Amino acid sequence: MRRRYVWILGLAVTLALILIPIAILFPKADPPRDNPTAALPVRKPATDHQPLLPGPYASGEEVTRVCLDCHAEEADEVMQSVHWTWESKPYQIPGHDEPVTIGKKNSLNNFCIGIQSNWAGCTSCHAGYGWEDADFDFGDSEKVDCLVCHDNTGTYLKGDAGLPVEGVDLAYVAQSVSWPTRENCGSCHFAGGGGNAVKHGDLDQHLIYPTEDLDVHMGGQDMLCTDCHQTEDHQVRGRAISVSFDQENQALCTDCHSQAPHEDDRINTHLASVACQTCHVPAGGTGDPTKMTWDWSTAGQDRPEDEHEYLKIKGSFFYEGDFTPEYFWYNGISDRYILGDTFDPSQPLNMNPLAGDIDDPDARIFPFKVHRAKQPYDTVYNYLLQPKTFGEGGFWTEFDWDQALRLGSEAVGLPYSGEYGFAATEMYWPLTHTVAPAGQALLCADCHSPDGRLDWQALGYPGDPMEWGVRSPAAPGETAQVSP
Amino acid sequence: MIFRGRLLHPVFGVLVFAGLLLLVGGFQALDAAAALAVKPTQQASPLHPDLFLLDEDGVNVLESGKPVSTMQTCGTCHDTEFIARHSGHSQAGLDTLAPAGETSTGRPWDSSEGIFGKWDPMVYRVLSESGGAELDLGTAGWIQTVGARHVGGGPAAVSRDGTPLKDLPVRADDPETSWLDPESGQVRAWDWDQSGVVEMNCFLCHIAEPDNATRIEALQQGAFGWANTATLLATGLVERRGDSYQWNASAFSPDGTVPAGQLGIQDPVNENCGACHGLVHDQGDDPIVAISCDPSVRRTVTTGQIIGPERLSDSGMNLVGKEDLIRPWDVHAERRVECTDCHYSLNNPVYFQEAESARPEHLTFDPRRLELGEYLVQPLHDLARGPSLTDAVTPEQAGSMRRCDSCHSVESTHDWLPYKDRHLAALSCETCHVPDMYSNAARQVDWTVLRPDSFARGTCRGTGTTVGGQPVITGFQPAWMPRQEPDGTAPLTPHNLVTTWFWVAGDPAQPVRLTELEAAWFEGDEYAPEVIAAMDVNGDGELAEEELQLDTPEKVELIASRLTAAGVEAPRILGEIQPYSIHHTIATDEWAIQDCQVCHGDQSRVTQSFELAAYVPPGAEAAFVGGSTAIASGEIVASADGGLVYQPDIGSQQLYILGHNRVEWVDWLGGMLFVGVLIGIVIHGGLRVLSAMRQRGAAHEPATEPVRMYGVYERLWHWLQTLTIVALLFTGLVIHRPDVFGMFSFRGVVLVHNILAAILVVNAGLSLFYHVTSGEIRQFIPRPVGFFDQAILQAKYYLKGIFHSEPHPFEKTPGKKLNPLQQVTYFGILNVLLPLMILTGILMWGAERWPQFSALIGGLTVLGPVHSGVAWMLAAFIVGHVYLTTTGPKPLSSLQGMMFGTEEVEKGHLETQGGEA
Repeated sequence: MRRRYVWILGLAVTLALILIPIAILFPKADPPRDNPTAALPVRKPATDHQPLLPGPYASGEEVTRVCLDCHAEEADEVMQSVHWTWESKPYQIPGHDEPVTIGKKNSLNNFCIGIQSNWAGCTSCHAGYGWEDADFDFGDSEKVDCLVCHDNTGTYLKGDAGLPVEGVDLAYVAQSVSWPTRENCGSCHFAGGGGNAVKHGDLDQHLIYPTEDLDVHMGGQDMLCTDCHQTEDHQVRGRAISVSFDQENQALCTDCHSQAPHEDDRINTHLASVACQTCHVPAGGTGDPTKMTWDWSTAGQDRPEDEHEYLKIKGSFFYEGDFTPEYFWYNGISDRYILGDTFDPSQPLNMNPLAGDIDDPDARIFPFKVHRAKQPYDTVYNYLLQPKTFGEGGFWTEFDWDQALRLGSEAVGLPYSGEYGFAATEMYWPLTHTVAPAGQALLCADCHSPDGRLDWQALGYPGDPMEWGVRSPAAPGETAQVSP
Repeated sequence: MIFRGRLLHPVFGVLVFAGLLLLVGGFQALDAAAALAVKPTQQASPLHPDLFLLDEDGVNVLESGKPVSTMQTCGTCHDTEFIARHSGHSQAGLDTLAPAGETSTGRPWDSSEGIFGKWDPMVYRVLSESGGAELDLGTAGWIQTVGARHVGGGPAAVSRDGTPLKDLPVRADDPETSWLDPESGQVRAWDWDQSGVVEMNCFLCHIAEPDNATRIEALQQGAFGWANTATLLATGLVERRGDSYQWNASAFSPDGTVPAGQLGIQDPVNENCGACHGLVHDQGDDPIVAISCDPSVRRTVTTGQIIGPERLSDSGMNLVGKEDLIRPWDVHAERRVECTDCHYSLNNPVYFQEAESARPEHLTFDPRRLELGEYLVQPLHDLARGPSLTDAVTPEQAGSMRRCDSCHSVESTHDWLPYKDRHLAALSCETCHVPDMYSNAARQVDWTVLRPDSFARGTCRGTGTTVGGQPVITGFQPAWMPRQEPDGTAPLTPHNLVTTWFWVAGDPAQPVRLTELEAAWFEGDEYAPEVIAAMDVNGDGELAEEELQLDTPEKVELIASRLTAAGVEAPRILGEIQPYSIHHTIATDEWAIQDCQVCHGDQSRVTQSFELAAYVPPGAEAAFVGGSTAIASGEIVASADGGLVYQPDIGSQQLYILGHNRVEWVDWLGGMLFVGVLIGIVIHGGLRVLSAMRQRGAAHEPATEPVRMYGVYERLWHWLQTLTIVALLFTGLVIHRPDVFGMFSFRGVVLVHNILAAILVVNAGLSLFYHVTSGEIRQFIPRPVGFFDQAILQAKYYLKGIFHSEPHPFEKTPGKKLNPLQQVTYFGILNVLLPLMILTGILMWGAERWPQFSALIGGLTVLGPVHSGVAWMLAAFIVGHVYLTTTGPKPLSSLQGMMFGTEEVEKGHLETQGGEA
């Protein structure tokens, strides 16, 4: 090397002698524990459909025909999704010789009970047009309702049999199509059970424009439903307990959040036994009060009516807002009452028993809204009955249980003995929306105190694990979230 | 002999009666039990047997109808006499009684170290000695006032010389059997047989729902014997009938026992402690509301500590910035660490630890301990504590409590902190972990005035008003005062300081009695017209609280004269400052102080002043009360708004805070030296430039030849030295003045400075080795023979010759690179300044690791200024050095030599001084 330039080498060596020790010994900032925004989906900009859908359109099917010109494939995708079929894939479950499907199409719940024989009234929330009886053609792509999910005007309303109601300007609606907003999903999902906030306990119309206090994702971050329920080819990620057996393709907190996101290690050790929702959804019914009990047996009386206490067509109910959830072990799998299953009417019937217990390493303590109802059952055959409520001969017009139950049983194909009673039933609805901001999450004393929320013995613990110790760690190879 | 039989009934009658009783009583008991709202029985001890409630004669209270005796009842199984004897709560300083004036506080009217005899400014009244001044509080009066926060037993049951109170002969001059009637001001005898005494009240701490309010009422009414019974009101076992109480037989079991679950017998929970010690607000649906500043509500107000798991943002208090305060009031309460987990019974076998000094070295844990059953019979009710106000009461228990680091790992959580050991030695954990108090607390209690309810006027700190005039709670930052720990250290600890102004009289001084104060201020139930006339500022004929202030000599004189008229001798105003240390309301780490510049900057919190009194009555002075563990090393100065302020003085604690403390004249001198050298070189260089321009035509271009002057290693170590010294000077400046260089992370700069220093030391060490072994060191040593002549020659060259382009007096050769002036300069730099710098630097770093060595020299207080001063000198040297390198044949000749190794040197000199050519 030329003498002239040796000084460059010298400078490099000198700088290295200084900078390398500094780089080695300088304390590194801890990497952030949690970086959820990195996992948010990036939405492509929506195409302006205004020039493409001039209208006018006389019916929903007419709009769909136009959509099919370009989106025939998407229609097929929809027809393969449960939003269209209202039915799961067949499952082999204990107690049944043949595989069974569950879904709104054929399942009973303890709210409005079931759609069979009442199709036209219930299918106003079907993603299709014209499902008014058992003979709906699920293969007709022109019956797919694109607008219910993609309307961005907020003026689209579906009525009986899923047909758009009079007065909706279908062209205006069609031209606005874009990515589904919270209002699109909420137009049906907030109104389950027959009205706003009735069913789930964590879904109501407040979530259309929520505050950060109500839901930190939809309010604070203005996230859409589809940011968590990410959708690929119209297969929406997510699992609803009342129409699912398993957790396949479930939307999880850990889709975006890290496995151990808390700075405090003591809190991270809870993740092996406590679900995120337990601490971060501290109350149910935080937007609007939700229906907690529904007694069908009192229906049909001429009493003063009140939407939140008693209706002649439905019976008496009890609403509660800001209620403390009930907590149970839950590993994501649940069993389900299937039409025709017999039960012991002297005990409340659990229509969707939760799987998981203290010994199951996949199970976590999870918050639930428990809906307790009294609904009709056949006292001879000891199974729940499907009443016809909507339409001609239905209970809502005739107020005749016997007739309603007979008509309903014919529709589902179950024998009806003619003798009916009202059985106590309960359903478990997991609370996972309305996530409160971190500053309102549960504190230690909310559970670990004499008047804490958890009944330790009922959960299988000898006592408060703070004093007795935690349950055994997860078996090796399991996906239990243990803190680092 | 527990049961004394009732009247004998005819057998049939007995049977019927008994049968009916069983039926009715059984049902009623069930009903009553169901109807009771006795709360957390799941906390109640599952093992405790059902018990009989016994009176003082050992008879079932259902039979005698007399008050329950805890000593007898609980004494059935537990050694209550032992418990009462070994309980500071109960003894309250009874065994530290001394003649007035000989206590640690230094007050002439204090007679013990505990609340029985030590004056509490919040209560005001003084426990009188026998044969002393006029009676203020006798023992009965003490129970009525201070006794509200006393668990009973001790002085409330036994006289000062150990005689049970009921056995005392009634004497007019004996404060133990006399009572001052606050209404009439008359002294009368106290009949202990009628009032009863207060035994140690087990129920107050050991049942789930003690009714403290009714208990205090009973004490205040003088129904001492019923006080412990009143505590049971919420259990349904007893009912109140006017001034007396009646046992509710239907709440008892048919056999006359009480199910332990109904009493709710349990280990004390936080609320039990909070009944007296402070606001404890456990989990519940009702949010906390603000604590009163009223000094008559004596809980929490001395420090503002609220123990509760609730988030500040969920409280019912109007806190500034409440929405962002999503932290709990106290993280230990939130994490379910109870009072008794730290303040445990000293012989509790679970928590017991033998003293370090007693444990042999080879033993890490001694499992031999008291059996649980033995403990339950004789549990010490002396509770573990740190050094505190009660140090003088039970000095042997000071420091018996486990400290923060008994449970928390300080090592693993504080490795981000430079000089961690130094911080932990100088500061208590609470200093950084309780940096702010969010509630209000007492600031001043003014007993020189009286409110209409005969109480002092209290002023709070931590309160304010919004822009719109709404009251808000701003909270406050506690004062940091050194606190004497049992191990001899005195770390800074947060305190609240409460100033009390009060009238004293006589000699030896004694606070003016409340009756006399009332006589001075009131006439009947209203303020005296003369007083209103003097104090009424806004002229509305009434005295509002703000007007109750002796802020002029005339007002002081008025009250003094009225006191004298009421019989008070030589009334004058004294002021007293009481420190209350703060140890609770810790939050999680993100709320602790983590910003170095909070202390290491000009506005250091360590020397932040703390507001004391809101105003000073003319002629009064305030002094710290004696006997406190807090060391009042600072000064009390008057503030601009007429109040007093405490100004800490950390020099007395040998605290020298880098970035905050500095010796001003060192910085001035050093700065002047630096600037002086800078000016010098500008002048010298300017002159050289001028003279070069003048000589342009007749320039003397010296003949030069290239000479290999510096080897690779020499250049490397020189430039490494250069960069590290310059970087050290810069980082040192940032550390010295963090406010000016606020953009840099203080912590990062300290670390870089230390790393660079290590590199410098290694470099210098290796270089020294090289110079010594190669013989090069000889060049740096000035030769004594002819030194001065040569030095003067060289100096003349720099001062004159250089401007005339004269040749250098000495030829620079590889064997002799330095002229005498250089030799002398480097000698000083390398043998004095640099070693001083390194030594002081190592000792400053060593203040962390080897504190005793640093302390030998005088600690950071000496090391810091020396280090800074030498740094200035080195900085000045560098300026001069860089300039002087331009004095070669050409300005860049020397620089080129040091960079490339070969230098252009003048040929043919006048003299060559020794050495090789």
